[in-house]
Amino acid sequence: MKDITFRGANRRYRRLFFPVMAFYVVFCFAGPLIMVAYGGEPPVWLMVIVAIISGAPIAVVFWLMGRYLRETDEFTRKIQIDALLPGAGITLSLAVIWGFLELYQVVPRFKIFTPMMMVGPSFFFFYGITFSIQRLLRGESLRDASVMGRDER
Amino acid sequence: MKNRLRDLRSGKGWSQGDLADALGVSRQSINALETGKFDPSLPLAFRIARLFNKRIEDVFDDGLGYMKKAAE
Repeated sequence: MKDITFRGANRRYRRLFFPVMAFYVVFCFAGPLIMVAYGGEPPVWLMVIVAIISGAPIAVVFWLMGRYLRETDEFTRKIQIDALLPGAGITLSLAVIWGFLELYQVVPRFKIFTPMMMVGPSFFFFYGITFSIQRLLRGESLRDASVMGRDER
Repeated sequence: MKNRLRDLRSGKGWSQGDLADALGVSRQSINALETGKFDPSLPLAFRIARLFNKRIEDVFDDGLGYMKKAAE
């Protein structure tokens, strides 16, 4: 029977999150290696597939987060949304600003990576920062994300 | 909203984690409820009240209890 408690939702989230992120990291390195293997001129269809596979984990993690928000308890849902919104807002704002700076040729175009590749990781970075700041403002410890201070009796 | 959750939990000798497990929520939820930083939904308020064999208004105080007293 499905465990519909907070613990069950946490377990189901973590069970898929870490393998998906491991897959993402592996493909971040696999793509450039494939390019090198083809002498810098791989077939276009192959690189399209590699690019889609490299970005797919981001979509999977968002699906996972959606399922987690539906399954977890109401307080956790609230604090996650409180962190997700600023994370998305900061990332999208910076991406748009950077896009205009590129358009006006104020900033150079990078050769090794493109800012568009960094949108996903940036979102998770700002989400993590916002979540941590909000935890500290609530007087919670950052040492254990699942525990709020000591277990009072 | 004020509540008597900490007193009721202590009366049973439960930790925050014990109460969280009984309600199927996180320990953070219990702490936030006890410190008044978070107000529960009606379904969760019912679950809490029933766990302690109380009425919702015996656990939570919305500050309008005087209205009930005045009516009596």
